[in-house]
Formats: sequence, structure tokens, C-alpha cells
Amino acid sequence: MDFDLPEELDEYRKKVREFAIREFRPELAEKSDRDESYPDEIRKKTLKEGLVDFSNPWKTMIAIEEMCRVDPGLGISATVPYFGAEVLMLHGSDYLREKYLSRVAGGNAIMGLGVTEPGGGSDVAGLKTNARKEGNKYIVNGSKMFITNGTIADFFVMLVRTSPPDDPKKRHHGLSVLVVERNFKGFDSNHLTGKLGVRATNTAELILNNVEVPEENLVGEEGKGFYYIMEFFNISRVFVAAQSIGIAQGALDRASAYLISEESKGHFVGEERKFKLAEIATRVEASRLLMYKAASYLFNYRPNPMITSMAKGYASETASFAAETAMEITGSHGLKTDLERLFRDSKIMEIWEGTSEVEKIVISRMMMKGDKNE
Amino acid sequence: MNEQTEMMMENIRQFAESNISSISLKIEREGIPDDLYAKIIQQGLIGATLPPELGGAGLDRNSYDAILFQLARISPSVAFHVFMNNSLILRSLEKAGRMDIISEIISGKERYGIAPGPLMEGGEDGEGSLIIEPGSRNIVIGRNGGKVTVLTGMPRLLDKKPLGLRGLKTDIAILEDNGEQILSREDMEAIWEDGSWHSAAIFLGLAEGALEKAIEYTKVRKTFNFSLKDYEPVAFRMSELKSELEIFKNTLFSDVEDSLTGMMLKTLSAEFSRRATKYALQFHGGYGYLEDFGVEKFYRDAVSLNSIMFRPITDKRVLAAKIYGEKSGFL
Ligand SMILES: Cc1cc2nc3c(=O)[nH]c(=O)nc-3n(C[C@H](O)[C@H](O)[C@H](O)COP(=O)(O)OP(=O)(O)OC[C@H]3O[C@@H](n4cnc5c(N)ncnc54)[C@H](O)[C@@H]3O)c2cc1C
Repeated sequence: MDFDLPEELDEYRKKVREFAIREFRPELAEKSDRDESYPDEIRKKTLKEGLVDFSNPWKTMIAIEEMCRVDPGLGISATVPYFGAEVLMLHGSDYLREKYLSRVAGGNAIMGLGVTEPGGGSDVAGLKTNARKEGNKYIVNGSKMFITNGTIADFFVMLVRTSPPDDPKKRHHGLSVLVVERNFKGFDSNHLTGKLGVRATNTAELILNNVEVPEENLVGEEGKGFYYIMEFFNISRVFVAAQSIGIAQGALDRASAYLISEESKGHFVGEERKFKLAEIATRVEASRLLMYKAASYLFNYRPNPMITSMAKGYASETASFAAETAMEITGSHGLKTDLERLFRDSKIMEIWEGTSEVEKIVISRMMMKGDKNE
Repeated sequence: MNEQTEMMMENIRQFAESNISSISLKIEREGIPDDLYAKIIQQGLIGATLPPELGGAGLDRNSYDAILFQLARISPSVAFHVFMNNSLILRSLEKAGRMDIISEIISGKERYGIAPGPLMEGGEDGEGSLIIEPGSRNIVIGRNGGKVTVLTGMPRLLDKKPLGLRGLKTDIAILEDNGEQILSREDMEAIWEDGSWHSAAIFLGLAEGALEKAIEYTKVRKTFNFSLKDYEPVAFRMSELKSELEIFKNTLFSDVEDSLTGMMLKTLSAEFSRRATKYALQFHGGYGYLEDFGVEKFYRDAVSLNSIMFRPITDKRVLAAKIYGEKSGFL
């Protein structure tokens, strides 16, 4: 067993870190956070330097971690324009991949994923947005909530109900994925402001009022949408683990730099704060190893949803723990630095892509079914 | 809780419900409006603990803590404004014998801000001082040879949106060296320590505000066809937090007065406030992350106030020394 990253990936990690330190200027991070404005220049620069390569998930995972370590708002903004791309890669027709994915990959479009609705995010199968087939199109009615890139994306991969469930206990039947463009008639979006953190990212409510979607925009087969989205979450949760570990590592960097500087000024730093630092560091290492394990299953085509949920759940709680503990270690100094922004950004990790409770539901269900992580 | 405290709880609850509740989001975005400052003065909340001969209301500990608790339930910023004026600024001025300034403050003629500087962990004064509610004059702790200083004139601010206490326009200030010294650092340390009970009142009040919201929300929000409160992890966590809160409140509103109990309660309630507000946010799901739902502010304020009002090393060292009866916890 070898715990070191292969040399090529390690080189890549260094390259991304250098990029983030150089390009994620404090003024830009502060401005995007204060004004809740999406930093499109970062997306373009990341593309230009070839730093986001969705055909290589190991690189993507490492890029996400390194960027979020420097600034989570900017780091996520750089990597989220492709959110939902895997659904199209895995199940989209050649036509859809050519028409939509190639534009995103070329930097000419931004995409989003629409699953959550005002009535619920954890209960995916309970969604209400309805798509009725009329001739060669679907007529979509409903709304989506908290959609990242909601007012800036050109199109969305969206989960909708195309038929009632055949059995009330099987609500996940009858769901399908459609590609819905912003410029389709009847589509509207509403920018949601006043977020606690990740304010550089764009979040919106989508309103769908008799939106006409051509039938060729159906992704994969009708009725299989729930499975496609769960499969996608199994991938994206590894990337959220990477965001979380980036944040936790960022908090650790800042807290340790502060304590080192305190000691160098001759100020006393006792064991209490050093032990807290040790605890953050240990959890960061443990989270990273768990993420690598989940990634190695997934990227070698043997996805293991239980390990993925463990990785996402534990890493997101680590992000929040690390940021809060770093605030405690640094006291009022932390309030005056970008650590406070990192702290605000950290909390979303335990909410999006499956809350901490949802991850525990997945893990415990599989344990109760007798899955033993073998 | 004695009758007088109960009455105060009810009065301030009504005051907060009718004057603060509907504008609590506006306070977070734009600061405390002038007419609310005026009502706080009118209600006699600034000067609440000053003796009547100095123009104050001479309230006892319980009544004062009832005020802070009820205000923090709705707006921790407003509660801190009242705490800062009474427990830090007026107390310092009283100790320094500056009756001239006291009367200006309690009549609402002049507003003060405070830069607690090196009293806080991780804090320094001068350039980059954390300043809470910059006023026309500022009390600065620890400048000019470790003394408490009054500075005149608005300091230069960096216009940085703070993590917490947003209603107070907390900011980073550049403090010019033109103050008049009024107290020693030791005097201020003693004043700070006396604030333990009152800090606990704010930590517990804001925790109550957050938990009330979460309990209401988890009754009405449904996932998988059941109310959130029907799920064990939600119901059990909420009940445990509420139980802790009630036990803490029993101590807060008891007739115990000693500083050791105050310090113990502050230590426990500081940590509790972070935990309770974090769960309250979490159980709101995505909505908890948006300011409109009014729950994220409690989490921000809890963490921010932990850095401002509670000193995890210094305060714990004082506590340890009291528990062991000798200097302890210093390695
Ligand atoms: C900034 C932001 C960006 C987002 N981006 C996107 C996006 O791009 N696309 C998208 O589709 N969604 C997005 N989301 C939505 C996010 O995925 C949901 O908020 C999340 O899944 C939780 O759903 P909810 O908010 O409806 O909470 P709910 O499902 O209502 O849950 C509320 C609380 O109850 C708990 N809970 C629920 N059921 C149970 C149970 N059975 N047992 C125990 N506890 C339970 C939850 O864990 C949570 O704490 C985003 C959200 C935010 C805040």
C-alpha cells in the first residue's frame, strides 16, 4: 500500500496551488463575497490554464481541494460551471453531448443541476415538478430551489416527474432527466441573496411555467431519472468531500500560521491550543484518506455508495469542525482575517449534495442490509 | 425565578416582540435604526445597572440578565449594545468617576463604541483594532501603557463586513493616538470578569432564539411524508439541547450571585451557544443558510461572541485557578 499521490498528480496539485495563490487575490475573494457576485474571470482563467479536466476525475478532485484551500468561494466558482456534466457524459445521447457538453467544456457555456425543490431536497423522490408529454415535446411546470448557477447557467440538467409512480411506495419510479435551456419560453429565475457563505457562487430559484422542452432533450431513458441522479450524487459527493477537505486544510493552515507567529513573537502558546491544532490535523488526514478510498472505488468503476457517503459526511463535518476550532484558536485575530469567511463557507458542506443526516441514512441502510464494506 | 425577574422577562419580551422582531433582518443588514436606539434609552435599558443617584435604574443581576436574555433571543446585536454600554462602558466610567460622560450616554446625547483590544485573545490595539459599534467617542482598552483610554472622534474604518453583531456595524479601525487615560488594565480585567453572568445571559438568549425557530420549523417541514420532528435524530437532539438550555436558565435566574458560578455558567454556555445554533441551522436544511430565515445570524453571532466575550484560555485559567485553589493550567 502506498499513501503518496503518484508523481504526476502531485505535480498537478502543486500547479493548481500556485495558480490559486496567484489568482485568488484577497481583494477579489472579498469583493465576490461582499457583493455576492460570480467571478467569471476565474472560470475563464482556470479553463485557459487547463486546470479543470473533467475527463480526469483524480485531477478534478485534487484541483477542487487545492482551490478551496485558498478560498472556497472562488474555488467552487472555478469548478462548478460543469455541475451535472457527468449525467450527460454517462447517459446523454451523442446529440446532447455535442450540443451542450462541448460548449461547457470549451468555456462557451455554464450549466447547472436542478434537483431540489422548495418543498424538499433530502426527499428527492418527493419532487413535484411535472413534465407532460405532448406530441414531440415535454411541457414542464414547477419550480426548483437553491440551484447553483441558477441565474448564470445557459442550461440545466433537471429531474422531473414524467409519470405517476406505479406504486405509492415506489415514488422514485416515473422520474426523468431533461435538459432545460434558460432561453426556453416560460423559464424564469430568481437570484437568492443573503447566503451565509459561498457567496461568490450564484444561487437561484427556477420557475417553470409551461416550459416546452423538445423530446430529444430527454437524457437516457424515461423513468430512469432517479437512478441517474443517485449515480451522479455518488460522484459529486466525492467532489464535495474534496471541497470540504480543502476548507479544513485551509483552516488548519491559517490556525497553525497564527500559532507559529504568536510563538515567534514570544507569546506563550500552551498545550490546549496545540492539541486543538493536532485534532484538526488528524481529522483532515483521516478525511482525506477516506476520500481517496471512495475515489479509488469510484474512479476504477466500482462505486461504493456507502464509502462515498462516509467520505462526504465525515469530510463535511471536518470542514465545519476545523473552521470553528480555528476561529476558537485564533480568537479576535480570526475575526479580522479571511478565516471568518472560510468559517461561513464551511457550513454549506453539511447541507448540499446530501445533508449529514442523509449520508447517515445511506450508510446505516447499507449496514442494515448487511453490506460490510468488503 | 422571582416575581420581579418574571415581570422583567415579560416586559422585555413584549418590548422585543413589538420593537425588534419585525425589523431584526433589517438590523442585520443596515444596523440598529436611530429610533430603536431612542426607544432603548427611553425604556431605561442604558444605565439599567447604574445606581439611581447616578441616573440609572439600579436593577439587580437577575433583572438585568432577563433584559439581555430576552433581547438576545430576538437580536444578539441589540443585546450586546445594551451589555456593552452597561457592563463595559458605564462601569468603566463609573469606576473612573467620569459622571460628565455617564450622563451624556444615558440621556442618549452621545454614543460610544468600544475597542476591547488586548483584553481579548488574539486581539491587539492600534492599527487593525476590532471596534464594536464605532461611536462619536470610543473606549479603547490597553493603549498608552495598558490603561483604558477614551478616544474622541470617529476612527478610520476599513469597511469590512463583520462575521457577527452586524447590527452594531462592528469593524476594523485604525486608532489614532489621541486619547485620555481613565483606568488601569487591572481595573478593566476586573470589570470584564464581572460580566460573566451577563455574557452567559446573552449566550443563552441567542441559543433560545435559535432553538425556538428550529423547534417550530421541524414541526412543519416534512420530508419523506413525515414531519422532521418525527425522526429520532431531530427530536432527540432538539430535546437534549432544550434540556441543557433549561438547566442553564435555572442557574442564570437563580439567586446565586457569586463570580465562580458566573464564570462556570459563562464557560459552559459559550460552548453550548455554538452547538445549539449550529444544530438549529442544520435542521433548517438549505433555508437555514439564507439570512431571510433568521437562523444563520444566531450561529454567526454565537461564534463571533465566543471570540469577543469568551476567552477560551484566559477565562478557563481563571476558572481552573478557582477550582484548584491555586494557579493551574498554564503549560
Ligand atoms: C447554497 C446552496 C446551493 C445549492 N445548490 C444546489 C444545486 O445546484 N442543485 C440542487 O438540486 N440543489 C442544490 N442545493 C440544495 C441542497 O442540496 C439541499 O438544500 C439539501 O439537499 C437539503 O434539502 P432541504 O434544504 O430541502 O432540507 P430538508 O430536506 O428539508 O431537510 C431539513 C433538515 O432535516 C434533516 N432531515 C431530513 N430528513 C431526515 C430524516 N429522515 N432523518 C433525519 N433528518 C432528516 C436534514 O438533514 C436537514 O437537516 C443547494 C443548497 C444551497 C443552500
